[in-house]
Amino acid sequence: MDLNTLLMVLAVSACIYMACNIGANDVANAMGTSVGSSSLTFKQAIYIAAIAEFAGAFFVGGHVSDTIRKGMLDPTIFSETPIILVYGMIAALLSAALWLNIASYLGWPVSTTHSIVGAVVGFGIMAGGMDAINWIKVWSVVMSWVVSPLIGGLVAFLLFRFLTNQVFRRRNPLLYAKRILPYMVFLVCVILANAMFYKGLKNLHLNFSFPEAILYSFIVGAIGFFIAKPLSKKISDVPRKEIHKQLEATENIFKYLQITTAFYIAFAHGSNDVANAVGPLAAVFSILNSGTVEMKVAMPTWILALGGGFIVFGLLIWGRRVMETIGKKITEITPSRGFCATFAAATVVLICSKMGLPVSTTHTLVGSVIGVGLARGLPTLNLGIVKEIVMSWLATVPFTALLAAILFKVMLLTIG
Amino acid sequence: MRTILSMFAKSPFKPLVNHIDIVNECVNLITPLFNSYKSNDYEEVEKIAKNISNFEHDADKIKDDIRQHLPKSIFLPVDKRDFMHLLSAQDDIADAVEDLAVLVRIKKVNVPDKLCQPLMELVDFVVTLANNACSMIRELEDLLEASFGGSEAEKIEKMASDLGKAEYEADKKQFLLAQKLFSINDLSAADLFLLNELIKKLGGVADQSEKIGKTLRVFLSR
Repeated sequence: MDLNTLLMVLAVSACIYMACNIGANDVANAMGTSVGSSSLTFKQAIYIAAIAEFAGAFFVGGHVSDTIRKGMLDPTIFSETPIILVYGMIAALLSAALWLNIASYLGWPVSTTHSIVGAVVGFGIMAGGMDAINWIKVWSVVMSWVVSPLIGGLVAFLLFRFLTNQVFRRRNPLLYAKRILPYMVFLVCVILANAMFYKGLKNLHLNFSFPEAILYSFIVGAIGFFIAKPLSKKISDVPRKEIHKQLEATENIFKYLQITTAFYIAFAHGSNDVANAVGPLAAVFSILNSGTVEMKVAMPTWILALGGGFIVFGLLIWGRRVMETIGKKITEITPSRGFCATFAAATVVLICSKMGLPVSTTHTLVGSVIGVGLARGLPTLNLGIVKEIVMSWLATVPFTALLAAILFKVMLLTIG
Repeated sequence: MRTILSMFAKSPFKPLVNHIDIVNECVNLITPLFNSYKSNDYEEVEKIAKNISNFEHDADKIKDDIRQHLPKSIFLPVDKRDFMHLLSAQDDIADAVEDLAVLVRIKKVNVPDKLCQPLMELVDFVVTLANNACSMIRELEDLLEASFGGSEAEKIEKMASDLGKAEYEADKKQFLLAQKLFSINDLSAADLFLLNELIKKLGGVADQSEKIGKTLRVFLSR
């Protein structure tokens, strides 16, 4: 086996390892609220996650990959010895995956995105010094980590306030929930479809312009609307006097909406997080193929499929166990609250991922859950988790950076 | 593994309902307690008093548990101080019932016939009132679900105002009963004192119950 084949095998294995970890680590967070509020059984959640994660990864996953592959590093530094970038990307993948594995073992809520970004930056500094890093891009990524939970929180807060006023504070909440249901389905469908049609679906070579994408997503939204409308009419009414039953029936409607958002967040997660595994692999592949560091390379379809496939594999093998425990745990979240938090987080993640900003799905979701809580939506909220998350931030980036730097040096000394 | 679900700490509102259920058990023993008391069945009085004291003790345990499990990092949809007020108000009802159980055991008293009927009337009135207060707490979950608004909020508002009116009625009944008590001439000073204390404590149960309605109104107004 020659060196190039060896490196390619190594890179693919590292990518698979990373993808499995992403599937295992994050899916429980993305689907947790739906299972916790018993809108979905854990099995249903697994199936939805598997389909949506793969779809998100495969159809929309390319944008963030570019950022991780070349956005944060200055490729010209490596143009003379492109093989260094190959070692570095493999080292980054390995160290991020290793860290994720350790963290899930210890039960720390770390971000897969932060892990890979830290690792890439760490190896970059080791290989090319401070100049090798595109600090402006790194800065924008780090800012997106701060901003995405805040915006997720804000959107969730406003959405819940809206539902409070439009549904829950009405004398007949069920009636208003039935009325609002098709519009919410419309909204979810439009955003999802637009994410796919506009600059997505690169792999199917469907390059819609923005107006075209909007048109098609409105068509998809309208289909969703006209499916939901008669269904919502079928839901039987409850007399106004029976407030408890009214509220129960209202929450039942939100169960349907939560199922759509479960799909939505898994899709957003797939589109955002697949890059953490496939970005470095794509870089390795293009260098080994061409022998040079190129600025513009198309993301090979098979790599996206590989990443998406192994995220699903990881969630089926490891994520399953976590989901099963969640299903048995009693949580104080109702479908309407879960819907608000998930919808807000998924929207923010999807938009950021479209902008090429690798954000953390988990952290955004934490932000939006807090948003619902601040809108008086939750019986109680453990804010201690915020501290844990900040700690995991502070730990993740330096750790993976250091580990990637060391692994890179080791590879350089042994193979190079 | 830690997941996002660790954010959803255990709701303190459920133990609050558990607490009121036990307080309600205490309240439900008031009528049998007075029945046995006026018919001079002191064996039964002792037994019921013991039960009341057991329930009160259980309620205390739950109260301490809730207080302990409400760390600073827990965020509630209501002001934490208001939440604590509500808990205290609930516990005060149980305390007031226990005070009744203590008073009836101090000395054997022959309740004058003239007093029996109005006394039992006041007892029934206060017990109904306290029961209504307890059922308000059972509405809390729906109130949260309705985001402190809508028909559920109106229902709570109505219950609180009814409770306030009932408490006013109880005050009047208490006053009339005291008048009747002091119009009886052949009572010993000790009996008079004890019966008067009992009437005052019954009014106390009503007062504490009304506080639940008041605190819940604060929840709605914020």
